[in-house]
Amino acid sequence: MTEPAATLVRLPRAADEDLDLLLLIRHFELALLDLFGRGELNGTTHTCVGQEYVPVALRRLLGETDYVFSNHRGHGHYLARFDDPEGLLAEIMGREGAVCNGVGGSQHILRDRYVSTGVQGESLPVATGAALHLKRTAPGALACVYIGDGTWGEGAVYEALNLASLWRLPLLIVVEHNGIAQSTPTARQMAGTVRSRAQAFGVRHHGIETSDLNAIRHELAPLVAEVRFEGRPLVVEFVTHRLGPHSKGDDTRPPEVVEHARARDWYGLYAEAHPEQFARADEAQRARVAAIVQDVSARPLSGWDPCA
Amino acid sequence: MTTLTLAKALNEGLRRSMEDDSKVLVMGEDVGKLGGVFRVTDGLQKDFGEDRVIDTPLAESGIIGTAIGLALRGYRPVCEIQFDGFVFPAADQLITQLAKMPLRSLGKVRLPVVVRIPFGGGIGAVEHHSESPEAYFTHTAGLRVVACSNPADAYTMIQDAVRCDDPIIFFEPKRRYWDKAEVDLMAAGVPLDRARVVRQGSDVTLLAYGPMVKTCIEAAGAAEQEGRSLEVIDLRSLSPLDMDVVAGSVERTGRCVVVHEAPVFTGFGAELAARISERCFYHLESPVLRVGGFSTPYPPSRLEDHYLPDLDRVLDAVDRAFTY
Ligand SMILES: Cc1ncc(C[n+]2csc(CCOP(=O)(O)OP(=O)(O)O)c2C)c(N)n1
Repeated sequence: MTEPAATLVRLPRAADEDLDLLLLIRHFELALLDLFGRGELNGTTHTCVGQEYVPVALRRLLGETDYVFSNHRGHGHYLARFDDPEGLLAEIMGREGAVCNGVGGSQHILRDRYVSTGVQGESLPVATGAALHLKRTAPGALACVYIGDGTWGEGAVYEALNLASLWRLPLLIVVEHNGIAQSTPTARQMAGTVRSRAQAFGVRHHGIETSDLNAIRHELAPLVAEVRFEGRPLVVEFVTHRLGPHSKGDDTRPPEVVEHARARDWYGLYAEAHPEQFARADEAQRARVAAIVQDVSARPLSGWDPCA
Repeated sequence: MTTLTLAKALNEGLRRSMEDDSKVLVMGEDVGKLGGVFRVTDGLQKDFGEDRVIDTPLAESGIIGTAIGLALRGYRPVCEIQFDGFVFPAADQLITQLAKMPLRSLGKVRLPVVVRIPFGGGIGAVEHHSESPEAYFTHTAGLRVVACSNPADAYTMIQDAVRCDDPIIFFEPKRRYWDKAEVDLMAAGVPLDRARVVRQGSDVTLLAYGPMVKTCIEAAGAAEQEGRSLEVIDLRSLSPLDMDVVAGSVERTGRCVVVHEAPVFTGFGAELAARISERCFYHLESPVLRVGGFSTPYPPSRLEDHYLPDLDRVLDAVDRAFTY
């Protein structure tokens, strides 16, 4: 997709609740990078800095009976679904109170109807199965699955598109097109477009080029209703930007590309547009996350009862 | 002699292979500009160009399938699977195409494809990034399966693998990538399908490959202080298996402990235990014992020390071998 002009337009005011969530995710992710930097976290993690608004926008469009299938870059997806930064941080740090007792970690969360996995593409057929079940048992509910642009290289994606379209399933595929997969720019790994691929399967495609939550919801609400009630699978493609490294310290992009992304960061744009509302909320969420980091870091390691 | 890390030794070996034979190609996710997540292919795209070091989309099945097609036309592709846990989307191409085509054609079709897979845990990574899937491939007739354990072997084994006309799954011990050792860049090395006695001993034979070789050498050092003499064998090739070296050792020591990171249940150690009992039955003083991972998904990083076999677990098995 081409450069979104809309991203540089002044962002309209968002509800306090939405702004709080955006900032919670931002500070949560920054805190993780900081914890890694200080050697407090093991393994790896992928932060969604720059992409926070995608799950926040979708939050109002999804309900409790809907399934959400997340991927490796899923902290924002989780926090938009559950107001539970403590549980997620504890999970990542392997501390008491962890959502999955610390056995899942950053990429493998399972809670109610929320599932994430780190293997790219493989959750699409699984989401398709969940959608088939929902169609039969809970009309009006849908399965939502998040994937990156790079993941469109995986064959499983196309098996799922075919099945979902053929069987008219309530499947919502949310593409976070951030222009890069690890170190490989999209132009070097994708022939054609996401739109044309979706269309080839008779699946409707809708592109989003703004980070304005209200506009996104307004555009998507009728389309999502069609997914729910008419069994029309939908691909929503967000043109977005990954501001940080792929995981930690592995950003291979030239500085001007990162600069370009930063200039489009909702965070700066929003701060400029609504300085007072922003400053208050930013400070509050920063403090909230700092307190959570302190609390969770001090907890004992998580455990579980294998016989429970 | 040059001091190299294991990752750099592989890099040098690949470079040599590419210099020697213009049909050698490298392909995989982020192998070009980035040089691979572990930098094993670092600098190769710069020096050999984008036609020979190919950054692919995320498409494991496509990578292996394309490599098969290239190999059919005389190329020698070296594919990188980014992490052990990401090899499974390529399972059909590996098991049904790559392994079977040469056998089905009674050897008329040769497929000199090398599939490099960083495997095993110990780097604090998660599930999919720490697994040991070797037994899936040793179970597949038609594939060679090898694992290097140290920089010197890494350097020669990767070159031998590239020269070999058979498909090879080449396992690299990811937590040993940063281990350094002297490497003789002129040496030919032990043939690819041979095991090697890396430490001589007379009481118990320890069988290992990849990352566990170092653990076993350390265990042998510790056991020596307690007056026990452990022989350590680096299998190097899992399929085919060099049973002569294994049996020669076990017949002398009478006791054997197999060590790998993969789950014990139907792991590669099960095959070793069965073969040894078939071939060395009258020499055995105790059953062949196995030390390995548990039958669970690979645990999160905080728990991996409990999961991975370590010196204590190896020495405990050695002790048990004397209780029969
Ligand atoms: C099957 C599989 N192959 C390789 C990987 C390693 N890997 C993790 S994230 C990633 C890039 C994903 O790119 P994209 O889908 O664009 O998502 P983004 O990281 O940009 O959010 C790769 C190659 C993986 N997780 N799964």
